Amino acid sequence: MRGFFHKDNQQRKENANGLDTSLSKNIERIQEIFYHSSDLIIREIQIGKTEPIKAGIIYIEGLADLPSIHDYIMESLMLDMDETNRKQQNYFDFIKQQVLTIGDIAYISDFDSLIKAILNGGAVILLDQQAQGIHAKAKGWKDRDISEPHSQTLVRGPREGFTETFSTNTSLIRRKIKLPDLCLETYTIGRMTQTEVGIMYIKGTAGEHIVQEVRKRIRSIDMDGVLESAYIEEMIQDHSLTPFPTIYNTERPDVVAAALLEGRVAILTQGTPFVLVVPALFNQFYQSPEDYYHRADISTLIRLLRLLALFIAFLGPSLYVAITTFHQEMLPTPLPVGLAAQREGIPFPAFVEALLMETTFEILREAGIRMPRAVGQAISIVGTVVIGDAAVNAGLASPAMVIVVSITAISSFIIPSYDMSISIRILRFLIMALASSFGLFGIFVGIFALVLHLCSLSSFGVPYTAPFAPFIVSDQRDALFRFPQLGLMFRPHLIRRTKKKHSTFFNPTS
Amino acid sequence: MKKVLIPIRVCMILILLTGCWNRRELNDLAINSALGIDKSGDQYLLSAQVINPGQISPGRGGGGGNYAPVTTYRTKEMTIFNALRKMSRQTPRKLYQGHMRMLIIGEDVAREGIAEVVDFIERDHEFRSNFFIVVAKGTRAEKILSTLTHIEKNPAEKMFRSLEMSAKAWAPTVEVRLDQLVSELISPGKNPVLTAIQLNGDIEEGMTVDKLESVPPPSILQYGGSAVFKKDVLVGWFNENESKGYNYAMGNVRSTTGFVRDPRGGKILGEVIRTKARIETRVQNGNPKGSVFVEVTANIGEAMGNIDITDPKTIDWFENESEEKIGSLIQSSIAKAKKWKTDVFGFGEALQRSNPDYWAGVEKDWDQTFAKLPVEVQVDFRIKQIGTANQPILKRLKE
Repeated sequence: MRGFFHKDNQQRKENANGLDTSLSKNIERIQEIFYHSSDLIIREIQIGKTEPIKAGIIYIEGLADLPSIHDYIMESLMLDMDETNRKQQNYFDFIKQQVLTIGDIAYISDFDSLIKAILNGGAVILLDQQAQGIHAKAKGWKDRDISEPHSQTLVRGPREGFTETFSTNTSLIRRKIKLPDLCLETYTIGRMTQTEVGIMYIKGTAGEHIVQEVRKRIRSIDMDGVLESAYIEEMIQDHSLTPFPTIYNTERPDVVAAALLEGRVAILTQGTPFVLVVPALFNQFYQSPEDYYHRADISTLIRLLRLLALFIAFLGPSLYVAITTFHQEMLPTPLPVGLAAQREGIPFPAFVEALLMETTFEILREAGIRMPRAVGQAISIVGTVVIGDAAVNAGLASPAMVIVVSITAISSFIIPSYDMSISIRILRFLIMALASSFGLFGIFVGIFALVLHLCSLSSFGVPYTAPFAPFIVSDQRDALFRFPQLGLMFRPHLIRRTKKKHSTFFNPTS
Repeated sequence: MKKVLIPIRVCMILILLTGCWNRRELNDLAINSALGIDKSGDQYLLSAQVINPGQISPGRGGGGGNYAPVTTYRTKEMTIFNALRKMSRQTPRKLYQGHMRMLIIGEDVAREGIAEVVDFIERDHEFRSNFFIVVAKGTRAEKILSTLTHIEKNPAEKMFRSLEMSAKAWAPTVEVRLDQLVSELISPGKNPVLTAIQLNGDIEEGMTVDKLESVPPPSILQYGGSAVFKKDVLVGWFNENESKGYNYAMGNVRSTTGFVRDPRGGKILGEVIRTKARIETRVQNGNPKGSVFVEVTANIGEAMGNIDITDPKTIDWFENESEEKIGSLIQSSIAKAKKWKTDVFGFGEALQRSNPDYWAGVEKDWDQTFAKLPVEVQVDFRIKQIGTANQPILKRLKE
């Protein structure tokens, strides 16, 4: 099914795009284009009493708002039209100037824009003997209400999240940043889906080169469909051969607003509540918006805790395997004795044991997500029993391993970004393999390779590991630590265009 | 494409390498907690005390059965390493030395010289050097390693902990680790001293788990005195008091107690909380002269009898008496060492530091010189506090 927009080029040329003057020909043509789809509504009416003229109203059921078509188009045309006011004007001008009581209208003179208008939920009014149409923007489809985002929950902070509707999403950001400098550039991407994709940034704050780069990459996308922002993400990311996300995504307008204020660029996509933010650096992925909604000292400690959890999630089982199979002398004597007692009778090496438990957990986790909600409970019960007790009693795993796997699992949930959490999960298995063959040596080789890899990444020209490598002293205020707002006067060094944020602080002494 | 291939190649090489070098699962190890070395004819008798994890660690995994928490294996060989390897004929798993806590040297080995046996232990990478080295006094190391202990199920752990504790709270024991022993063995101006371990009670009874059910243990391992070496050969034993004097002089005392008798029949006990010691050897008129300076800080720990503690004179008297007593302890141990002609205090090292030229002349027969070395002992004893009571109860009773 290749739609109208790229029906064979030849046919397109033959059919010259312009509307015909005959209403019936036009209508016939439209029906042909839509293959007589049953949800395409074509209402033919007659307007005017002195000089009756045929008119057609064309829209798609469900996309256009029926009440406004009835009230502001049909009623105006059929009942309220007072022809005495019509002087020398033709019907077309008369209608659009004096009859239609609908806010936003546009003219259409070719089939391309007519089709676009209809597919976007507009109603098109065609008159007989006119090679022009009126596009009444009466878009009105069902939207999801603004609700709390599910992927990033906070204790304190705004409860609103983006929805699937592009205009709602842009308005959510506009509500937060009331600034004419907040630009929105909209592109239509996807040959078939014709998805609206918008770039949002604050002019003068966002680095012009970054905006330019985003524009360039967005424009170069050529694909059939864009159903989610992930499609865009994959097409514009800097590196595809990496487990790490180089584009940040969020459901939260406050996060996007904060990013825009820092000088980043947001990419909104019609049809998904996930908005992309570029450039995305490594340190963004362990930060949470809540870091800024609590006091600085608390936020700093929690951020450090999160980093610790990140390391546990990444290295937990590997360290256990490495130390218990290679470096037993590193443990205080009672510990290896206790562990050895637990391992009595376990048939597998520690690595296989860890792999077994980790894989089981990953399966449980995936099942927990895919399962219908109603059976979710069953999963958690089975999971607790399988991972917790049965595996130990059956002699498949030692209790210590169960502890390690559990703490690793819980730690991986602390990472605020789901994408980063997935990357860590994958890399964990690699490091485990290294640990089981080389011990701590392997782990360190793995970490070295990983750090080198991280340093080779960049997101829209900004080094991924900034502000650690390159080390930027002024940005340390909001990297590992979260300084009080007083200390956060500067925008990130590599992203900003203008240095200082506009803020003054209440000074109790003055 | 080349870029993609490189990691793939590396990964393929990794697969080839997964021979898992040096990998040992915990349950494939026989964790050796103590090693004992005795002499048997011209061979060494090596005893290894191996932990039985299931019995030592509580909880599941151990399975039932009332087995001993440790098993001691013995082999005879000409060298230590050989003996250890030969032991694999008896042990079901590979002996692992990383958690060895105690090295027990039999008296007969010590009398012949310990340098030979220490070499392997120093050379092998698996040993951690934080275990203690003690000498079995009046018994064989294998007997020591066949004794079960109360509270701490692992006898080696018991010996380790009790040496650690008594070195902290009781002056006569001394903690010697491998690195210290080796450096003292090779130093010409200092000879080693090791703590002695004794086995009291019924040895045979102490070997079975059943007998552990009685409240007073049938046999008990305890530290007493120390073994004095000349180079690497055991020459004699310090008794408790001489060991104490030795430790005061070496600054090893962290805390201990000591009392003096009041001429009127009472006793005052001081609890030592801090000591500092310095050994110096200077050359005066062409002759070396050694001095020991000891600073002791103590609290009054016990006062028995009708003594006025609050009187500064009593404190002064007590301080002087204690200084004299500690001084005589030190002198007695120096006298013993002089008798055996072994400089365990390191007067030679002190001389080497203060007067390297003179040392070069006497280094060869330092032991002879040491035997005639005049040593002056200066003790500075200070009372800090008298505890949470003022006068002794007996005194308050009389008033």
